[in-house]
Amino acid sequence: MHCYPQLQRLALLAFVTAAFGYMQLWVVDVTLASPPESEARTFYEDRVELILERRCYRCHNSETKKANLDLSNSAGLIAGGDSGPVVIMGHRDGSLLYEAIREGTMPPEGEPLLDSEIDEIGHWIAAGLEFREPPSAHEEALDHGDVLPVFLLRCTACHGAELKRGGLDLRSYESVVRGGDSGPAMIPGDVVESLMIQRVEQKLCPPQDQLLKYFVKRPSADELDRLRKWIDDGARAGILSADVASEEKDPLVTDQDRQHWAFKALPMAVEVPAFDGIEFEQPIDAFIFEQLKKQELDFSPRAERSTLIRRVYFDLIGMPPTLVEWQRWSERTDDGWYAAMIDELLTSPKYGERWGRYWLDVAGYSDSEGGVAEDVVREVAWKYRDYVIRAHNEDKPWDRFLMEQLAGDELADYRRSQDVTDEIVDQLIATGFLRMGVDQTGSRTMNFVPERVALIADALNVVGSGVLGLTVECARCHSHKYDPIPQRDYYRLKAVFQGAFDEYDWMSWKTRFVEVATPEMIARQKEVNPAIEKELKKLDADRKQAIKSYQDPYYEAIWPKLSADEQQEILAAIKDTPDRRTLRQDELVTRYETEIRPMESVLIRNHSELAKQLAAIDQRISEMKESLLPPLAIRALWDRGRPSPTFMLIRGEYDRPGKLVGPGVPSVLTDGKTPFRFNSPTPNASSTGRRLAFAHWLTESDHPLTARVLVNRVWKHHFGQGIVATLDNFGLMGAPPTHPQLLDWLARDFVQTGWSLKSLHRKILLSRTYQQSSYRTPEKDRKDPLNRWLSRMTMGRLDAEAIRDSLLTIAGRLDDKMFGPPARVDVREDGLIMDQAASNKEYRRSIYLRLRRTEMPSQLAAFDYPEMQPNCSQRTVSTVSPQALMLSNNSRIHQLANDFSQRILSRDHAILTFPADLREDQNQFEWTRCVECVYRTVLSRSPSPEEMQVSSQMLGQMYNHWYVTGVQHEDAAYKALASFCHTMFNSAEFLYID
Amino acid sequence: MQQLRTSSRRSFFSSMANGLYGAALAHLFIKDELLAASNDGTYNLKPKAAHHPAKATSIIHLFMNGGPSQMDLFDPKPALEQYAGQTFPGDVEEIGNQSTDNIGAIMNSPFQFQRHGDSGNWVSDALPHTAEVVDELCFLHSMWTDHPNHDNALYKIHSGQLFMGHPSLGSWIAYGLGSESQDLPAYVVLDDPRGLPKNGVRNWTSAYLPPVYQGTRFRTVGAPVLNLTPEYEQPSAVSQAARELLNKLDERHRRLHPGYLELDARIEAYALAARMQLTASEVLDLSSESQLTLRAYGIGQKATDSYGRRCLLARRLIEKGVRFVQIFLDDQPWDNHSNLRGTLRSACDRTDLPAAALIQDLKQRGLLEKTLVVWGGEFGRTPTSQKIGNDFSGRDHNMQAFTTWMAGGGIKAGSVYGKTDDFGHKVVENPISVHDFHATILHAVGLHHQQLCFERNGLKERLTGLKEPRVISEIFS
Repeated sequence: MHCYPQLQRLALLAFVTAAFGYMQLWVVDVTLASPPESEARTFYEDRVELILERRCYRCHNSETKKANLDLSNSAGLIAGGDSGPVVIMGHRDGSLLYEAIREGTMPPEGEPLLDSEIDEIGHWIAAGLEFREPPSAHEEALDHGDVLPVFLLRCTACHGAELKRGGLDLRSYESVVRGGDSGPAMIPGDVVESLMIQRVEQKLCPPQDQLLKYFVKRPSADELDRLRKWIDDGARAGILSADVASEEKDPLVTDQDRQHWAFKALPMAVEVPAFDGIEFEQPIDAFIFEQLKKQELDFSPRAERSTLIRRVYFDLIGMPPTLVEWQRWSERTDDGWYAAMIDELLTSPKYGERWGRYWLDVAGYSDSEGGVAEDVVREVAWKYRDYVIRAHNEDKPWDRFLMEQLAGDELADYRRSQDVTDEIVDQLIATGFLRMGVDQTGSRTMNFVPERVALIADALNVVGSGVLGLTVECARCHSHKYDPIPQRDYYRLKAVFQGAFDEYDWMSWKTRFVEVATPEMIARQKEVNPAIEKELKKLDADRKQAIKSYQDPYYEAIWPKLSADEQQEILAAIKDTPDRRTLRQDELVTRYETEIRPMESVLIRNHSELAKQLAAIDQRISEMKESLLPPLAIRALWDRGRPSPTFMLIRGEYDRPGKLVGPGVPSVLTDGKTPFRFNSPTPNASSTGRRLAFAHWLTESDHPLTARVLVNRVWKHHFGQGIVATLDNFGLMGAPPTHPQLLDWLARDFVQTGWSLKSLHRKILLSRTYQQSSYRTPEKDRKDPLNRWLSRMTMGRLDAEAIRDSLLTIAGRLDDKMFGPPARVDVREDGLIMDQAASNKEYRRSIYLRLRRTEMPSQLAAFDYPEMQPNCSQRTVSTVSPQALMLSNNSRIHQLANDFSQRILSRDHAILTFPADLREDQNQFEWTRCVECVYRTVLSRSPSPEEMQVSSQMLGQMYNHWYVTGVQHEDAAYKALASFCHTMFNSAEFLYID
Repeated sequence: MQQLRTSSRRSFFSSMANGLYGAALAHLFIKDELLAASNDGTYNLKPKAAHHPAKATSIIHLFMNGGPSQMDLFDPKPALEQYAGQTFPGDVEEIGNQSTDNIGAIMNSPFQFQRHGDSGNWVSDALPHTAEVVDELCFLHSMWTDHPNHDNALYKIHSGQLFMGHPSLGSWIAYGLGSESQDLPAYVVLDDPRGLPKNGVRNWTSAYLPPVYQGTRFRTVGAPVLNLTPEYEQPSAVSQAARELLNKLDERHRRLHPGYLELDARIEAYALAARMQLTASEVLDLSSESQLTLRAYGIGQKATDSYGRRCLLARRLIEKGVRFVQIFLDDQPWDNHSNLRGTLRSACDRTDLPAAALIQDLKQRGLLEKTLVVWGGEFGRTPTSQKIGNDFSGRDHNMQAFTTWMAGGGIKAGSVYGKTDDFGHKVVENPISVHDFHATILHAVGLHHQQLCFERNGLKERLTGLKEPRVISEIFS
């Protein structure tokens, strides 16, 4: 037995450096590594070896190597696994191994390690990783696979697919050997004479003035060392083979792992429970009843008709019924009224605006790029929004809907322009789904590989949480702690997208769009737009002239009277950019802009004629703009047919490449032995076909997750909670389904009826479960406080869009226009962010507002419109005072109450006829008609006698209060009714749906 | 003073009286027991226990947008004078944030440095008032950050991440500690009436934390909080009738919906709105402050009036139990790319006196001990001048070193921590990353950076990220 002092540690360090090339971590660690002299030394062989063998061997042995980690010998322990090193010398708390056993995440099954065992391992790490026998390791020569990541990261921007500076392409071994115009880029075995080393060492490559142009950074010392060593070792090619699923058994994911309910294939048929003497028309009710019986609960009575009308309207179109509609459904005497109402609403174009919005949350829809402060507007993002609304209204089969969004570019060859159809255009627009994340790569300085990798991660995250119902994000940095998703599978998934999202061959949002249109679209655009653009230019000139004609008199009156010095000082201040100005200069500029040559805002305050004139021009401008045909550009994602190889990234760090992987899907969702097959769908392989293959796999009729995840989402939006409560996590840490059989039945039925969303709605809405009252009884609350078993309906608050849209439609100020560029949103001086009316003075539905990340309309933000980061799989519902302030004090809400009042009382399009002699005949009767009308319109019901009495009495009082202020009686009536409507807008009953 | 009273107080009360749910809404002030019941299991602002005992219970963050120049304010570098006009000796690629053509020569500071106070710490003559309170301050000369652009460096210093969409420091603290005041938001932002800072309202976002932890802007002119007062006119008798009606409607609705606690929470939200109207107006009413105090903060003097008001308001908010107050300047006055002599001086003229007055005032009232005051920006500036056309009169961004100061809240008064190289370009001793900075601030108010987390998408999110930061324990007394 010998002892290895400091020397031993250095030997170990050298070993690690040689074998892995990641010196950085270790250099730091050595400085921390000196163990306190007084403490007893511990060696691997004393206890650690035994503990690891006993507790970790089952998964981490030389054969199974879960997470690519072999703990059965000292070399494997030091080598680490997919997540990088698991022990860091002297750094107990930073060591993965210690963290995993201390937190109890390892071992995943069976007894956790004893405290004494944990301490022993911790102590051994802290004391400096000492071995009696140094880990057996042999140094291997580097080959091309070890340096390729360096070329990709540092060189191929100029020597790759896009540019071949100096005739050099560093993407393949052959082309590296071939070299460029200046001869071979390197000479095997001769580091000193190798051109690439010389140029990098002298900082000629990458050139200093191009670093920001091509977003490359210089190779690190370690990377340069690797290059040198590779050349020194003879610049071997080696064999570069990507890790993909093969016929061989997957060492990282076991069949045991595949037993989790959500990873098993969707069954072909699900038996509906049967009960003696009770028959359920809707199978849903049988499944629900089965559980209710077990819990000794029963269905609640059917809700009242008015409640059902309101519930179904909000659920399907996100708005209350109009007075006429309400009356129609209320008065029908046949049993079929309910089904007829559902069918009618499912054909309403407003359906797609309601349900499309839910999907936009999943996609993380945004009208701006985000990332940097500028928050550049995404000019044509709305085309994707429109696609989603249309797809919902057409009831596009969901499998098709997903396929178009994931691989629309690979479904048909859009590059042959003469063959472009509306369908092809739509499919390209659909791929916008993958481009909704924050994208700062168009910025001047934020387009380096880490930013690109983060953007790709967001897209994968959306696919994971939104479509697969899996939190794949964790596996970006390490094998998933809970779910059997090894880090490898994350990178295989990333490889699926590599043809389109290639961090080494990048397109920023500035250039990443296509102009693909049908010949008809192109022709129409040429015909319509130029004339409008010309007119717009003229209007703009008129506008400037109008302002100038008011400015000039001020200028002429004041400027000549100033001394030359004063003039010069002012001119200098104006010339300086604001960040250069001193306080004094700021004042001068302000003076110039208010007194000498007043700005528009100042002029408008003082000259009402100018204000009028400009308003007229602006009105005309906005009308003209609305009639412009939108640009042909599509913010698509498309495969470019030349994917870079995909390397795993250790700990998710962009400059720590690991194993090379090929495209594939999470092993746990397959039998682990089926290779992922894909073919280029286009001639000349201009597209890899990877995403198309992925989309096909995703929409297989027995896919374990796709249909289950979707029906669960739909269920959530109807019942307020999912059968699986965690909509985006069906993994081991997700909530288990309350009704697993029901979930499977719904999913299977959904697939069998052609992935039809509308048919799914119909089945849910026709169920007895859905039509229950929301009334809570002490008994139900005792047995099932959270209503997991659905013995009643759950009351829920309207979401941000429903509140805003309802108020607009009630007030008669809703613009029904569908689709197209979003409505303008302005930031008021005090910071309130309000959407603006269109030229017709009406307001558009919330889904059509410009939803810029940094300018979220205050009214939506107050009621929990989410931060898309990168998406939102489940909105929160908060109850906070700014909501109260918004509804009670905001001028827009108050204005809508006025509009509603006017709508009720106006002579022309009145809901009610205005009682001409209201002042004289101030009897209860007329007020009761108003009250009746308000209740029906706002709450979709008639008031109770008690409410009627209180309300009309209050209205009478309000009328009197207004009248004594001296207004006309007609006006007093209108204002009183407005105050009454405003109160109703603030009522709990308006905000909550039974 | 007269002016003050008319502009805020009177108009405030008169418009409030007309509000639909004004402060007189006594019957909405429901019992505390009810609140406690309704808020269980939800995110709220009730005070929460700290992770460990701490001296500081609140924080005032004087945020200096733009990147104040360390070598012109706090960190004197004689080498700049010695080598003035010469090329920078180090790696020019590491200097600024732009392509390297824009780098001028080494630039001497146009300001004079002197040691001040008993501590003998350096402050330049650009900050004569700060120099007077130097014995209360702890200078952190070794701050560094990860990005040389304002956008990203601002996200970093406020949220710990380089990109938008992560909760700000104030939101995390409100989430961790709640508020001592149930009538005011836990996290108040006093932004500049002249305009928003760079990155706008994103600087105080709660992002994925519940919106109740978002920074609330208190404006010093007009309605202090968005929608706080009605934006329309209505006789108070009508408002009174409307309140009664709403009350009756809601009472009936609640009666018919037993067991739905969210309905109580909603009524409470209306009550808080009403209380906020009252309390906010009290806080904003400076008429109870003495002439001496007002003068000390520079209120009434052109250059300092605006910032002085906000500093004084910060103290008043802290007194009311607000947890975190952040003061911003418009745009970025410390971004002195050119004419540093003039523009840096202007930024100092606006803020120096009020910031020093705040320290003195807090001290005098015994509040400094439990209030952590933090002064600083998002990064520092370069020892070289920046070339803009033919102009070489300012400094570029420098992410590798900058100075921040802290005071009060258990921080060692009159001390200095960390060191930069001879040119003030890089940290050479005791580096403080932004994560370290945040962990230290959390520590000062009794929060532990590891324990303060929020679960999202299966990940535990933390202000200080994945890697373990270091609490700078040496700066605590």
